[in-house]
Amino acid sequence: MIQSEPGVFGAISHPARRRILDLIADGDRHVNAIAANFDMSRPAVSQHLRVLLDAGLVTEQRHGRERRYRLAPERLGPVRDWLSHYERFWDDHFERLKRHLEKRDER
Amino acid sequence: MTNTITRELKFPQSPEKVWRALTDSATLAEWMYPNDFEPRVGHHFTFNVPAKPGKFDGLIVRCEVLKCVRPSELVFSWVVGEVNELNTRVSYRLEPDAEGTRVLFEHSGFEQKQAFKGAEYGWKMMHGKLAHALERAAQRMS
Repeated sequence: MIQSEPGVFGAISHPARRRILDLIADGDRHVNAIAANFDMSRPAVSQHLRVLLDAGLVTEQRHGRERRYRLAPERLGPVRDWLSHYERFWDDHFERLKRHLEKRDER
Repeated sequence: MTNTITRELKFPQSPEKVWRALTDSATLAEWMYPNDFEPRVGHHFTFNVPAKPGKFDGLIVRCEVLKCVRPSELVFSWVVGEVNELNTRVSYRLEPDAEGTRVLFEHSGFEQKQAFKGAEYGWKMMHGKLAHALERAAQRMS
């Protein structure tokens, strides 16, 4: 019912990394463009990007000397899914409850 | 995105009938899972979710009846995992609705802290752009 992917969940446990994901959800971004949104140093931003890269949530493209970062939203599947699993779980069971009550009525 | 699942359900049956389906252990087993439910506050019971070979290991849901007012309100805790990884609460409110019953269902308390052992991840990231990106990804994958 609940999937766990520690790498992904660990990666999104930090507010700065969630912010980064939000920023690049719009499209690829250069590290400077990302860092411009934060008070922290560029190396600190790079470290967060490294965690996101390791978790597979972000991919890195090199254009000459420039590196751009892109969201890999497929990897967020487990995060999106764990509550929707429960929603499906209940919807299925309420269908069964409905059928059960109808069956009782017919008896 | 919210950390509470809510549903409004309508049944043509009377609140008494719906209440019975929610609180009679044998009936509950027919649409939920084998259980040792008893309709009294403080009673501890479990739902035994059977395994699906190769897919799912099976699961014990540990519960305690927190509120039980026939035929209008039933609340129980819903705890999963060795160290209470998921400590949530299920509630049903039943109201007469013409000849039938309106049921307000809530499954609340999905705290990330509990579910992911300390990861303080908030659902707010699911709002806005990121949520759209996820939607698009889901569409591509399906």
